[in-house]
Amino acid sequence: MEKESASTMQKSVTLKSPEYVPGRLAPSFKKAHQWIRRSGVSGQLLCLILVMAFFAIGTGGKYLSWANLQVILNLAAIPAIIAIGLHQVVVLGGIDLSVEGVVALCVVVVGLLAHNQFNSNNVGLWIIPITLLMGGIAGTINGLLNTKLRIPSFISTLGMSWVLWGLAVFVSKGQTIPLIDNPLSGIVNGSLFGIPDLTIVALVLLIVIQVVQDRTRFGRYLYAIGGDELLSAQAGVKVDRTKILVFAIAGMFYGLAALFLAVRLSSAQAITGNNLLFPAITAIAVGGVALTGGIGGAKNAALGALIVTALNDGLILMDVNPYAQEAVNGVVLVIAVALTIDRKKLGFIK
Amino acid sequence: MHATQSDSAKTELVLELNRITKSYPGVVALDGVNLAVYRNEMVGLVGENGAGKSTLMKILIGVVQPDQGAYRIRGEPVRLKDPGHAIRLGVGMVFQEGSLIPNLSIMENLFLCHETEFEKFGLLSKRAMRDAAEAALAPVKVFGDLDLSIAETTPAVRQMVEIARLLWLSRLYRQKNPVLILDEPTTVLTEHERETLFSILHEIRNQASIILISHRLQEIVENSDRIVVLKDGKNVTEFSAQNARIPEIENLMVGHTFSADRYREAEQIEPRAEVLLNVQNLSKRPGFEPISFTVRAGEILSLVGLVGSGKEQLCRCITGLEKPDTGSVTIDQKRLATGSPSEAVRSGIGQIPIDRRSDGLALGMTVAENVNLLVLDRLKTAGLVNPIQEKKNALQWIKECRIKTPSSSTLCANLSGGNQQKTVIAKWLTSQVRFLVLDHPTRGVDVGAKEEIYRLIRQLATDGIGMIIMCDTLEEDIGLCSRMLIMKDGRLVREISCPPLQKPGPSEIIGSMV
Repeated sequence: MEKESASTMQKSVTLKSPEYVPGRLAPSFKKAHQWIRRSGVSGQLLCLILVMAFFAIGTGGKYLSWANLQVILNLAAIPAIIAIGLHQVVVLGGIDLSVEGVVALCVVVVGLLAHNQFNSNNVGLWIIPITLLMGGIAGTINGLLNTKLRIPSFISTLGMSWVLWGLAVFVSKGQTIPLIDNPLSGIVNGSLFGIPDLTIVALVLLIVIQVVQDRTRFGRYLYAIGGDELLSAQAGVKVDRTKILVFAIAGMFYGLAALFLAVRLSSAQAITGNNLLFPAITAIAVGGVALTGGIGGAKNAALGALIVTALNDGLILMDVNPYAQEAVNGVVLVIAVALTIDRKKLGFIK
Repeated sequence: MHATQSDSAKTELVLELNRITKSYPGVVALDGVNLAVYRNEMVGLVGENGAGKSTLMKILIGVVQPDQGAYRIRGEPVRLKDPGHAIRLGVGMVFQEGSLIPNLSIMENLFLCHETEFEKFGLLSKRAMRDAAEAALAPVKVFGDLDLSIAETTPAVRQMVEIARLLWLSRLYRQKNPVLILDEPTTVLTEHERETLFSILHEIRNQASIILISHRLQEIVENSDRIVVLKDGKNVTEFSAQNARIPEIENLMVGHTFSADRYREAEQIEPRAEVLLNVQNLSKRPGFEPISFTVRAGEILSLVGLVGSGKEQLCRCITGLEKPDTGSVTIDQKRLATGSPSEAVRSGIGQIPIDRRSDGLALGMTVAENVNLLVLDRLKTAGLVNPIQEKKNALQWIKECRIKTPSSSTLCANLSGGNQQKTVIAKWLTSQVRFLVLDHPTRGVDVGAKEEIYRLIRQLATDGIGMIIMCDTLEEDIGLCSRMLIMKDGRLVREISCPPLQKPGPSEIIGSMV
């Protein structure tokens, strides 16, 4: 009787779970899928090629001229720097909407401390650590609000953005502050072997963050928290500390972007921060960083920024109505999210 | 039987619980429980749901602390702070739900939070990790692509990775003979995987002790060295597996403390003659084969069967949460469109889900709002919901169902489990439901509230509502139902009538279930 019951019990479970063969984990197509999902950028490269091919045909080859490619690389650099900072918060499973406020305040600080026409301040190259620190502090506050006061990052960073924006307008009295002979203008406007210096800076940052993500404990914890915060905490990941650090690093990236923006424009005003958030989030989504967290890296964010810039540049070259261009960006964002998000995992969409 | 082991190895005590007591508000989960685990031993732990197995395990790994009693690991008295502390002392658990992070790879999960071992100048050496991962996974026979993310592996692989992680950690902390606790490890495995698991466990036993929890007595008897039986938070007995007989264990687990009083059998009524629910040839592959049965008004039909018997899926097909492959559900001569929960609700079929916190109640809403959720149309005046009527209706049902709440505007999140469950029942009662599917209605509810729920269920039957019920324990099923259907492997195998005061014994039923 015992034997009989054993065999029937066993039958009851074979129905659901797939056969487990030791030594063979999954078919190889899953491996390819995995490569694209977790670390891969193949889909994004394909997307970039398609975009470029489309505009190359549409503009009769003008799009592929070296001069235009330089323009694209140059224009993509600052969005890429912002996206590389922001995507880390997204990988954590959060979102950082404070970009515009942080940039506005940092730009104004650059205006008031660098050599300018309003006051006699001139901190020289010290402006670099100062703006990084400013951004870092703003990011740390974001992180503290999120972890210690347990406010969802969506709200805490949105609030921070407006606080910092208000502060920036107040400090600058709403005026434009012209800069004089900034020591960084050589880097911001120069190029090396035809490649814009800013693009090289963005590339270096991309490599640094990518290595941190792939090869350090901090990077591992970033993905663990993005995958399952509770289980990560149970495994011993210091969740709060990692989160605050990620927000702080993101803030420093925004600070750096603000510095470059101010120097490029040779003037500082609060509205320099406007219209930076949407392209950054579009870039992240287009690059293949899942907005649900845990998937995608710095290379995805940077590639996404490149794709979005290449798209906008093409639309300009083809003389598309500027309002239609904005609509195209919105469509691209929704499509990108639809392709990358794992909606089955979410259950309810809020 | 694999249960062969020399007595000399048994002499070394690895883990010892002495007179452990733990109570939660309203329930004593553990009452003076003893447990000893020897070196290289596989201990089978059995008991019904609610016998205290999971509380005992939580104490072993430091998730909860006992109120009283001593816990010794390798002779040293310990007071565990958290599961991490337990792992450092060589006691770890493989959870039913799993504790691996889905988007990280097998290799990354294996060493999560212990990467310092592989750090060189702040960077992790992938090669060193891969070598260590291959070495750690060899004993559990997982080979192949270790960069595959956990989400893409099978449950069997995940389980093996968790076992390998625990073994690796115990080596890291230099603990010889760690204790591995496996909670229902075979529920998600295929037959083949199960054999693999046990052959691996028998190999691991050469360097570890294992506590095996399973409701499949067959595999406990075949694989463990010693069997410990828990019932109602107490040790019943323990014996060597060689001497174990399954029917004997079943009797010990279920016991004979069967009380007609508890289930208010005197209030059990003879169901009315009219057939309320008629299920014809309902089937859904791969869950259950075509099944036909009827439920009369005022009848409590109990559905019993092991995990994988298909009973849960059958109920989901009746309530419209799943679309069956074939067959029909008719209520009061009206044939339902299958696969539509809203149609089921409109036709008067309600369900009390197993997880009331996520499925049954809106916790962020008040008691009154929850009670009135389905009847807002009735409480309208001039097209708007009338707050006076709303409150009146809610208060009536709060009284009727004896929901203990400070006021009708208290948030449901602040109620006890029992009162939350009563709120769910009240919601259906006020909506004039005709038929209810009750999925483990007393899960996570304290003793006093259980009685109240039994009373409510009796009341429902008296009011002519038909019910399908799936209970936490067989005892509860027998006590409540007037008829019982036993399912096995997706088929209806037996029907037993359970009139009051002539209830069948549990062992009679278990025989058909397994």
